[in-house]
Amino acid sequence: MEQSSAYEGQPLHEPKGWWGRYVFSQDHKVIGLQYTCIALAIGLTGMFLSLLMRMQLGFPGLFESIDAGSYYQDVTMHGMIMVIYLLTALFLGGFGNYLIPLMLGSRDMAFPFVNMLSFWFYLLSVLILVSSFFVESGPTGAGWTLYPPQSILEGTPGADGAGIILMLASLAVFIIAFTMGGLNYITTVLQSRTRGMTLMRMPLIIWCIFLATFLGLLAFPALLVGAIMLIFDRVLETSFFMPEIFKGGEVLDYGGGSPVLFQHLFWFFGHPEVYIIALPAFGIISELISCHARKNIFGYNMMVWALIAIAGIAFIVWAHHMYVAGMNPYLGFFFATTTLIIAIPTAIKVYNWVITLWNANIRMTVPMLYCLAFLITFLIGGLTGLFLGNVAVDVPLSDTYFVVGHFHMVMAVSPVLALYGGLYHWYPSVTGRMLDDRLGKIHFWITFIGTYLIYFPMHYIGFLGVPRRYYSNEQYDFIPQSVNDLNQFITICALIVGAAQFILLYNFIVSIFKGKKAGSNPWGACTLEWQALESPPGHGNWDEQLPVVHRWPYDYGLPGATADFVPQNVADEDIT
Amino acid sequence: MTEVINNQKNKFMGLTHAEVFMYLLMTVISITFLFITNAYLFRMNFADWQSLPMPSLVWFNSGALVLASVGMVWAKQGAKADDNSNLKIGLMATGVFGVLFALGQIKAWQELNTFGYFLASNPANTFFYLITALHVMHVLGGIIAWMRVSFRVFSRSKKTVTEHTIGLLGIYWHYMLLVWALLFSILLTT
Repeated sequence: MEQSSAYEGQPLHEPKGWWGRYVFSQDHKVIGLQYTCIALAIGLTGMFLSLLMRMQLGFPGLFESIDAGSYYQDVTMHGMIMVIYLLTALFLGGFGNYLIPLMLGSRDMAFPFVNMLSFWFYLLSVLILVSSFFVESGPTGAGWTLYPPQSILEGTPGADGAGIILMLASLAVFIIAFTMGGLNYITTVLQSRTRGMTLMRMPLIIWCIFLATFLGLLAFPALLVGAIMLIFDRVLETSFFMPEIFKGGEVLDYGGGSPVLFQHLFWFFGHPEVYIIALPAFGIISELISCHARKNIFGYNMMVWALIAIAGIAFIVWAHHMYVAGMNPYLGFFFATTTLIIAIPTAIKVYNWVITLWNANIRMTVPMLYCLAFLITFLIGGLTGLFLGNVAVDVPLSDTYFVVGHFHMVMAVSPVLALYGGLYHWYPSVTGRMLDDRLGKIHFWITFIGTYLIYFPMHYIGFLGVPRRYYSNEQYDFIPQSVNDLNQFITICALIVGAAQFILLYNFIVSIFKGKKAGSNPWGACTLEWQALESPPGHGNWDEQLPVVHRWPYDYGLPGATADFVPQNVADEDIT
Repeated sequence: MTEVINNQKNKFMGLTHAEVFMYLLMTVISITFLFITNAYLFRMNFADWQSLPMPSLVWFNSGALVLASVGMVWAKQGAKADDNSNLKIGLMATGVFGVLFALGQIKAWQELNTFGYFLASNPANTFFYLITALHVMHVLGGIIAWMRVSFRVFSRSKKTVTEHTIGLLGIYWHYMLLVWALLFSILLTT
């Protein structure tokens, strides 16, 4: 694009034609939307798989097509899809792409072409993953942790066919996509902030995405290495992870390998992955809570340092997932300690959110409802995490439904609540229209109450000692009938919550055409993405001059100002 | 919170976009090799581990990679002095020796295979093939970047090649040499 001399910022890639504008676009906003759409589509698939699992647990034998093998395939694909292909992709690829340049006053990502490639590699990884549903023995049923030796041995669904290979290949491609996107996010944050946008004036969500990306860039290589080595073991019959195995009295070609080595590699990625999901959720909540409570975020500096502490400690807690893996008990003590320590910066964040709400002018908008729901849910999920972080408590609860209830509350429901809050909040920025408030509230209450009805009973079932990952709870004397009744109840709730998500989908689609016009800054937010001249922001985001930042992103209720907010790009002398 | 900071160029430590991207990429690559060498050092303590002899060809390959790196120093000097012929000589050296390194490593694998050190017959063999293959793949990335830059230099493309670009390419090749030096010393001594 030819730039006039008055035009500030990096040179822009002018889109060529319809394909260049909407398909092979290098515009960060379009790429963000592409990420969001694909992530939501595969997320719906993941949700559908969970409903199939619930049908089996609540009403065993109702569907003849669900046998033990397909149940494990559903479990595996549900877990992997939700953690990696929905939440990681949507928070960083979707929100990250859309918000980073807009909130920093930049025209686009530092490397738009690499950014575009990132999306197409992500799409390729999703297609490879989905293709495993259509190969002869179906997708892998090894559980989302893909632990060898079981994941690559005959007898596990997808192990003797291409299922496990496609899963590992898909992960490798996803990691390449993430790396291309992640390098871009960090470079953009470090290099492309507009004048006045110091690091300590960045909105907290940008800090969160920035740190989550760092976590991803440092943690995903562990998964990549593990995946490559596991492919070697599966395809070339090497023995990185495979011990000596006897099958039907015959010794297999494998021998001498260490399954625990894979667990270390997996969880060195796996635990930071929890924070790769949680940090952007924290960021969304920080933005929403301040804006919809019309109050400064409490303790901005403390919030940033707490985030940095969480990101750092996230790398030394991984083996709390392995207390029962046979590792040295002294190591368990170390990892239990670090796990409890990470609760401190996390608690700082929760306290700061609560104090932000104290005496605030709270508007009960749909995004605010999601914020409040997140606070409660994250607190509960976090507290049960303290139980499981202790070795002595974890050992009896390990592999029970208590664990399922815990991690769904803390890293499924909580991030999804933040995600929905974010979608409701930024939808007007993307489309220029508001989502329907009434439908939004109906969707919220069903989702919020419904998820509690689903996951609360699981804690109780876990205390009864009911193991997770069992295809059927029949024929076990220690499992009382009440568990089956509860499972039926949970399944009915899950079906209702599942169906309620179509309210959101309907709201999304209909509001594009019939939603109330949003105007440029419908929530009265201070951050830059709402201050662009056009709404929704056009290609290049700003007019010829980039905005100049004069203040932090949370100037709500500034004394002397007529409005109850002062945008970041308004100078002191321009405040009316 | 309301202090105006005008005309501040928000550049991290005065680095360019490309430099930040490159250093981050190198960090990610380093972490990847760190994990695989960690796994190597973990796995070698198991009873079935049998170290394999280092093919002498690998020493020559290492020399080739050193010369590829020297080529980039030469090219950088040429670019700095605006001396196009030295720039081309340096780039040619990097390309030739870089490709020689990659081909040499493949030849070394063939040698090992010929002498019965098959990929799956022992974890030490598997790690050797895997680690060297991963490194060669990253060298191939350097060759692709080298082709992009060289095409512009040799075809007199309108897109000029700056000293900065040559410098970045050089950093990657030196980095590949450093990674190889560390990997080679681990493979050699264990």
